[in-house]
Amino acid sequence: MNMSVDLCGVKLKNPLIAASGTFGFGREYDELYDISCWGGISVKGLTNEPRTGNPPHRIAETSSGILNSVGLQNPGVDAFIREELPWLSRMGVVVIANVAGATTDDYTEAVRKLSDSPVDIIELNISCPNVKEGGVHFGICPKSVSKVTGAVRKRCLKPLMVKLSPNVSDIASVARAAEDAGADAISLINTITGMAIDARTRRPILANITGGLSGPAIKPVALRMTWQASKAVAVPVVGMGGIDTGTDAAEFLIAGARAVMIGTANITDPTAGPRIRAELENFMSENGVDDANELVGSLRTD
Amino acid sequence: MKSAARDIVSRVISNERIADRIHDIRFALHSAAEPPLPGQFAHVSVPGVFLRRPISIAGFDPASRIARLIVRVAGRGTDILSHMKTGDETRMTMPLGNPYPIRELTGGEIPDIWLVGGGIGAAPLLYAADYISRLAGGRAGIKTFLGFRDAAAAFGASEFEAYGETSLDIGGFVTDALTESLGKKIPDAILACGPAPMLSSLQKICARSGVRAYASLEERMGCGVGACLVCNCGISKDAGDEVSYKRVCRDGPVFPLPEVVFK
Repeated sequence: MNMSVDLCGVKLKNPLIAASGTFGFGREYDELYDISCWGGISVKGLTNEPRTGNPPHRIAETSSGILNSVGLQNPGVDAFIREELPWLSRMGVVVIANVAGATTDDYTEAVRKLSDSPVDIIELNISCPNVKEGGVHFGICPKSVSKVTGAVRKRCLKPLMVKLSPNVSDIASVARAAEDAGADAISLINTITGMAIDARTRRPILANITGGLSGPAIKPVALRMTWQASKAVAVPVVGMGGIDTGTDAAEFLIAGARAVMIGTANITDPTAGPRIRAELENFMSENGVDDANELVGSLRTD
Repeated sequence: MKSAARDIVSRVISNERIADRIHDIRFALHSAAEPPLPGQFAHVSVPGVFLRRPISIAGFDPASRIARLIVRVAGRGTDILSHMKTGDETRMTMPLGNPYPIRELTGGEIPDIWLVGGGIGAAPLLYAADYISRLAGGRAGIKTFLGFRDAAAAFGASEFEAYGETSLDIGGFVTDALTESLGKKIPDAILACGPAPMLSSLQKICARSGVRAYASLEERMGCGVGACLVCNCGISKDAGDEVSYKRVCRDGPVFPLPEVVFK
């Protein structure tokens, strides 16, 4: 059985990637299982300078998902390259550096540094809903997506994946804008903006008031947008949003994703990585699928 | 330090209601689980709610490998947990987090450690009392200060009494009796767990009397292993230093009390 897929010239041994923000830099989960079971790992969102993130509370539970408002807490791209990457790049997984910023210069500077590092792919995070400046503001309309993607493209010596926000009116036009500006791949969806209120205190649960919704709650939206984006662009699409089982992963591949990212499932089940990998293999063998690539974009609408 | 935490299936051995909305649940631990230390917690999967629930370890018997979790019903998740029956199984990742630094504090001597617990915060201190007592061959004089909202919510007092002098405050401030005792004697250290206002007040009292203190904190948690960064708390190593965010699940839940920044 072939599980490997090609993502803009980078070979993944399987189509499963740990999603940024749910997996740190891999060390914590490597204590629970061998993280080389993943095809790739997208690290916690990096900014050019270190960031402290938002005050607590940063998480609220919903019936089938979570709202988070971490606000890009990270040690900065220099500390990542110096202290985390040497270890992570030895783990036998494709390393994807997720990059965020408040200004275009923040993005280009961080990407310039990462272009000289051993990361395999750069994922441009223009869709974080939890920071005051930058983040999702770059990702909400085709024009701004085009501008930041184009600026980064000039400095980026690695394959460039652009992570899109679902908080837009037309995902296809945003995906096309990223592709036209030089993206080698598209990943989607980031979280859907939401909020939670404590009725007794009449206060928001999150200190940031609003947060990003993830988990099975957003899976139907994510599937629909993965399908629409993959029809709109020629570059590979990485789908994510509420994947919790191997069958969920297969659904995203069928919708048109070349690979998938798994995020919130790591939080509810710390051994989600090896479990979902085994489940996807089982799904394929039970359904007579010899090659994961056979699933990609195989949705039947006749 | 490489974490010894494992994701395991545990089986309920007994579940007893010991006070108003307080349940004492014993779990038989899977053989792969490492013995927990006082202050560490289990991240417990609860059928019917999305996230796991972090519950401090209230006791562990190395011979029978039975762990004790004392749960306060605070919402839907803990309500479901409180209804678990003998024989029910659930997954939990444990032991997680940093324990109270009891071995470092005792240094082989018979320790003079006081415990300060408010409400459900008394739970991890029950294990601390048992652990210190075993370490000292039963000769440790553990002084405990407990505070509860009302008499119906009080638990554990008679258990703590078996380890040493125990004061019980209902509806007032647990710190009142502590302040009085600190006027007479300063212990080697204070281990605490309780609501933030109690810990904040305790921080000031300990600073005035110069006693070392460690507190176990609580925050809304995600992954429980240190990856998702949602359970942050403000920490400042020295007064006047910049406040940085630490992970309650991974860098804590036990922190030196003087370093904790309360709102």
